[in-house]
Amino acid sequence: MSDKATGASWMVSADQNESAAKAAVSAINSHFSKAGVVASVLKHSSGSKRSYVSIECPPEHWLALAKWLRFDNGVNHCSMITGIHHPDGGADKGWEVVAHLMRMPVKNQEPGVAHVMRGGELEGNDIPMEYEVGIILPPSTTPTVPSVQSVWVGADWNEKETWDLVGINFEGHKDMVRVLNPHDSPVGFHPLQKQHRLRYDGFNEMYDDAQGFGRKPIDADKVK
Amino acid sequence: MAQMWITMGPQHPMTHGLWTLRVKIDGETVVDTEPELGYIHRGVEKICESRDFTQITPYCDRLCYASAMTWAHSYIYAAENLLEVEVPERAEYIRLIANEMQRIASHLMWLGAYTPDTGNLTVFVWCLRDREMFLDLMQELGGSRMHYNFPRVGGVKRDLPIGFADRARAKTKMFLERMQEYEMLLDESTIFLIRTQGVGYAKAEEMVNAGVTGPNVRAAGVNYDVRWAHPYSVYDEIDWEPSVEKQASIKGADCYDRYRVRMEEMRQSALMILDALDKIPGGADTHYSPGDEMILSKAPNRAPEGASGFHHFEDPRGESMFYLQGGGEGRGKSPYRMSIRSPMFITIPFVAKTMIGYKIADIPAIMGSFDPCIGETDR
Repeated sequence: MSDKATGASWMVSADQNESAAKAAVSAINSHFSKAGVVASVLKHSSGSKRSYVSIECPPEHWLALAKWLRFDNGVNHCSMITGIHHPDGGADKGWEVVAHLMRMPVKNQEPGVAHVMRGGELEGNDIPMEYEVGIILPPSTTPTVPSVQSVWVGADWNEKETWDLVGINFEGHKDMVRVLNPHDSPVGFHPLQKQHRLRYDGFNEMYDDAQGFGRKPIDADKVK
Repeated sequence: MAQMWITMGPQHPMTHGLWTLRVKIDGETVVDTEPELGYIHRGVEKICESRDFTQITPYCDRLCYASAMTWAHSYIYAAENLLEVEVPERAEYIRLIANEMQRIASHLMWLGAYTPDTGNLTVFVWCLRDREMFLDLMQELGGSRMHYNFPRVGGVKRDLPIGFADRARAKTKMFLERMQEYEMLLDESTIFLIRTQGVGYAKAEEMVNAGVTGPNVRAAGVNYDVRWAHPYSVYDEIDWEPSVEKQASIKGADCYDRYRVRMEEMRQSALMILDALDKIPGGADTHYSPGDEMILSKAPNRAPEGASGFHHFEDPRGESMFYLQGGGEGRGKSPYRMSIRSPMFITIPFVAKTMIGYKIADIPAIMGSFDPCIGETDR
């Protein structure tokens, strides 16, 4: 059976992927160059080393960029929006929001039709592409970015989670509630901020004390 | 008639886990829904910020009890992008075999849980019986029955055991024959058809916009698959195509279409296992000792500050993804931030809204057809 056909004949090819990434980057750079948005083609460093589009965006232009990507470039899928706390990031970088978007050639179909796409047939905005958008925020007690809930429905719960866990505010988000932490968590408690440490922080079970007899939680003196 | 809220869950057979669906009903008709998650949130992302890259794999196994192998691999591919590791081709084949076995086992678990929801208890027992075959095979790889801790950054823990290929071929072929029995039992069961056909319509574009991916989208007539669009591992060397189902109505894919696409996907995965066992470099009957360069390449254990890696992965439930940023504790031995995209976390709010307009008795049929798993949802 080793002479069987392979999937490569109908998959999205590496050349296609790279030229689509370059086209997307030049479109973004020509459209948003004055707004301080910088796009570049990066490659995954392992595996098949496919290209993806990496974008650095100032927070004030994020909503405009998102709308343009969604409605003019066919980026129809918001995969993940996540936040990172950088307490030691310096004067410019206190927080970071990273959005991962994808372009999927998905269209509604007629009943009884299976639309089998072949990689080689796809052109322009139909070629699947990965986008990574990094938004750097200055140090602040109330980090804020615009919400893209109105652009992608899928961004809604991603933003809820990011606010719940990291504490980044999404301006314009309707119905912001806690989703993973309990609803009665204290105001301002966002566990993925770096000032919160694990109870057994700094304790290495593997090397310090394999049995765990000597371990004490960091709040041992506060808990009865 | 007055409208009222009723609470389904956290302990309800519909939930397939631990979460609450609050439903507003008008008579028998659902008019509004509100999901509540977070019952088993255990802070995996926070814990992993103080674990080194090898120690994280078992935590990722435990993200989903029905699909541990694929979640561990999802993490490992992102970690390899972060640490810039090349993986030997034989290890990629072993990973592919392990992942496709897990996909079958996960879909069997889904089918076994879904058919009692829709009035057929026999298939539940059959599914768990056949899932056991694949759990046995994966136990040979990972040493444990549910949480395997099998992949390593740069390869896999162990090679295929002696005789594994023959056992895998025999069991996969037996499974392919038994698939016909399932289909006879379900496709000709009037009760199953009545419960699943014509309920839970969802359109492809709406699903993708709402973040729903994987088999749920392929049920709506589109063959989008991460393994096809952004090929990783050795999927480009295997003879396969994404399964795709023709939707029955202009309103989108219904529960029956989603059942059909998962059946096709199991068949596809079984054929991929057979093909990969034939094509694996070095031969499926050879056994390399652990740590051999055929199955494990050297990997750095630290990632510098500012480095990042992510990977989109086709999980049985849709597109999963890990985002890792380097430069954490221990001079980069841990990730500074690990972020997990769970397909079900995004899907559950969408499914809750698709239920509006259907009868309250349709809720288990609709919810189950999207294959919820709460371990990964709450993380």
